[in-house]
Amino acid sequence: MKIKKILFVLGSGFLFLVVFIIDAILKNIEGGLDGIFFIRVLLVAAAFVLLYFYVDSKIKSAEGGERSQIQRLGAVAVWTGILIASYIIVSILPLNWFESRDLQLYPRDYLTILFSTLLSIVSGLAMIITVRYVKEMLFYRRTRGTKRNFVLLLVVMFCAAASTYNLRPLETSLGKTILFTVAIFFIIVNSFRLSWIAYLSRREKIYALLYALLAFFGFMAINIILSEMSSLTKALLYFNYPLFVFVQLSALFGSVYFGMAFISTLFHLPTAAAFDRKQHEVSSLYNLSRLITQVFDFNDLAKTVTKMTLEVCEASGAWLEVLPSDGAKEFGKKAGEHRLDGIVSRHNIEPEAVEQILFGSEQSVRSLVLSSKKILLVDNVKGDRRTSYISRIRNVGTLLVVPLVSHDEPIGILYATKEIDHGFEDDDVNIVSGFADHVTIAIENAKLFKKSLEKERLQRELLIAQEMQKRLIPQTLPFFSSADMKAVSAPALEVGGDYYDIVMLDEHRIGIVIGDVSGKGVGAAFYMAEVKGIFQSLSKIYSSPKEFLVKANEALISSIDKRSFISLIYAILDTRTGELVLSRAGHCPMLYVSFDKKQYVKPTGMGLGLRAGKLFEETIEERHITMKKGDVCVFYTDGVTESRSSTGEEFGYERLLDLVAAHRNRSAEEIKEGIIQGVWNYTDEHGYDDDLTVFVLKWQGV
Amino acid sequence: MSNFKVSFRENNNVHVMDLKGYLDAHTTPHLEEAFEKLIAEKKYNILVNCKDLSYISSAGLGVFMAYIEDVRMNKGDIKLSNMSPKVFNIFDLLGFPMLYEIFKDENEAVKKFEAKS
Repeated sequence: MKIKKILFVLGSGFLFLVVFIIDAILKNIEGGLDGIFFIRVLLVAAAFVLLYFYVDSKIKSAEGGERSQIQRLGAVAVWTGILIASYIIVSILPLNWFESRDLQLYPRDYLTILFSTLLSIVSGLAMIITVRYVKEMLFYRRTRGTKRNFVLLLVVMFCAAASTYNLRPLETSLGKTILFTVAIFFIIVNSFRLSWIAYLSRREKIYALLYALLAFFGFMAINIILSEMSSLTKALLYFNYPLFVFVQLSALFGSVYFGMAFISTLFHLPTAAAFDRKQHEVSSLYNLSRLITQVFDFNDLAKTVTKMTLEVCEASGAWLEVLPSDGAKEFGKKAGEHRLDGIVSRHNIEPEAVEQILFGSEQSVRSLVLSSKKILLVDNVKGDRRTSYISRIRNVGTLLVVPLVSHDEPIGILYATKEIDHGFEDDDVNIVSGFADHVTIAIENAKLFKKSLEKERLQRELLIAQEMQKRLIPQTLPFFSSADMKAVSAPALEVGGDYYDIVMLDEHRIGIVIGDVSGKGVGAAFYMAEVKGIFQSLSKIYSSPKEFLVKANEALISSIDKRSFISLIYAILDTRTGELVLSRAGHCPMLYVSFDKKQYVKPTGMGLGLRAGKLFEETIEERHITMKKGDVCVFYTDGVTESRSSTGEEFGYERLLDLVAAHRNRSAEEIKEGIIQGVWNYTDEHGYDDDLTVFVLKWQGV
Repeated sequence: MSNFKVSFRENNNVHVMDLKGYLDAHTTPHLEEAFEKLIAEKKYNILVNCKDLSYISSAGLGVFMAYIEDVRMNKGDIKLSNMSPKVFNIFDLLGFPMLYEIFKDENEAVKKFEAKS
């Protein structure tokens, strides 16, 4: 890009140099130009085309497409200044200028040629830049006709210029005059494209006024200079007639356009402040709605909201109160809370003043708004009955109280104050009320986000609990050739209250326990962990199931909630003899299938945690069974028997008994799978809502 | 599942609660409220008629445990009656018959209350 620009400049510079040399050589030859006249015109045209390319690429790269109109206007004003300055400088130089004969101009010396050339280049360049920038202004918020009108203007301007290519410097033609007139028509048409002015800020409009005036006077001056047959005019005419026409028309365009711009800006100025404010309101609302989706930090949000409140209604002070989410009307009811805890953000007002305005009376503006859920505007705080309780606060003249209402419930209140009375117009009240709706959504959004974060955190904690609980049940069961054992446990929720465990009491005897804590979920999981601890420590000390259950009850009863209880079934198996000793504490009976019999073994026994001491001990019974080869024992929790089909019928004891009996000859693994599959097939997805545990013991014989 | 209902009536100075439907972790608060209401009104002779109770979970059983101490301390009692075999089985497994008097018929229970007073 840079090389291209340099080439444009060097190229046009070279061409201008060639033209200068030609002019210098032919200076004294009468009619000497005639032979290469056409070539010279083309050279000049090519030089300016290259210059245009340079200007165009320079503007494009400098702007990157984004430059404010005011900067463009400034640039144009500067260039007219440069042009006029160069005119003044050249006109005070002691030059000999031209001799005119037969409508032809003859420079008296080489210096005249040089300055004519330079003057023409600067004039052409200034006008190219002007037209290029004005194009950007015209095209701001362009309509369908904008481009067409501008292109037509350019075409007419170039035609007018081109029509003069073979005229002698002091000659004129009808064609030129007509085209000139048409060009003026299009200049006027294009000069109504001034919509960019409306969107300038007030400050920018003042600058625009100044720049437009400067540009207007600059172009007018150029017009006046060029309309007289002065030496400067002659210099341009001598160098190139079409260029002169182009400069003249451009200057005309400039003066008309910037004259119009000046007047238009002047008329826009009184409304500029209001326009600014509207713009500001719109952008504030826009920013706020963007904020809703971006800011999840509550404090950030509150700060932004109060700051924006100051901006949208030009308030002197503002604060935001958020009400407690539990439905209470104010903070400070609980210990360690202050009633100003709801004031999440405050601008330009003292907390003492806030406290007095909010809580200075039973019938404060705050309680009025909370009960009415409507906007309250106090135009004259000192004189109004509703605010008569407010004293000593000097810098509050007007008070605006806006409830933030979501689903018909106030969730917060936005306050804005002004030092003078009657400080807020209807307009302000409307905008703040619209603003309040956005704020309500933003606050609700932030709250929801916080809630979902919290939920996510709990979910993570639960997953950790789940992992930990999985480790509380045996990862593998000990292997005995005589006893084939398999177990499975699945909680309905992340964690549950089902429990099974196995412990080696000595080399040959194993203790098997299955339990169920009342309830489900986290509460049950805690007790389940406690039971695990009790089982692991007490089972090795007390060698009979009954003794163990009595001691376990003692350990539990002190720590368990009175509405919770734990059911356990505990069996001790001698792996040498197949002798099984069983006790039950409120748990589902053991399922027992031998080759000739299928039955539930149900020794009496109360659940753990229901009664202490003797009352409990007396209920516990012990059963002895000697297993024979192929006998199957199944321990389980009520999740199995209480599973429901889609019609609401329970899986039940009969079905379980039949199922196990049917699988009696299979391995423990297959029996376990058979039960799970059977329950699964029986229920639809909704029926399976309890923790479920199955432990299968199959006696293989010694 | 909120298809659980408690209704109150009186039978010879015994305060009868008729339970209906499915008593699980979701519906136990209703039963808790019912007990609290009676206790607040100092009605301690409570008979829970389970004729239309179709299911009771461990959480439901826990509710009875929560109030029995209070009631007995005030020389009253919670008795149960008219259980379906299935519901009785749930009570029985946990050993409730050793903690509560469970009757086949409501009037038997009422008579028992009368005999005591």
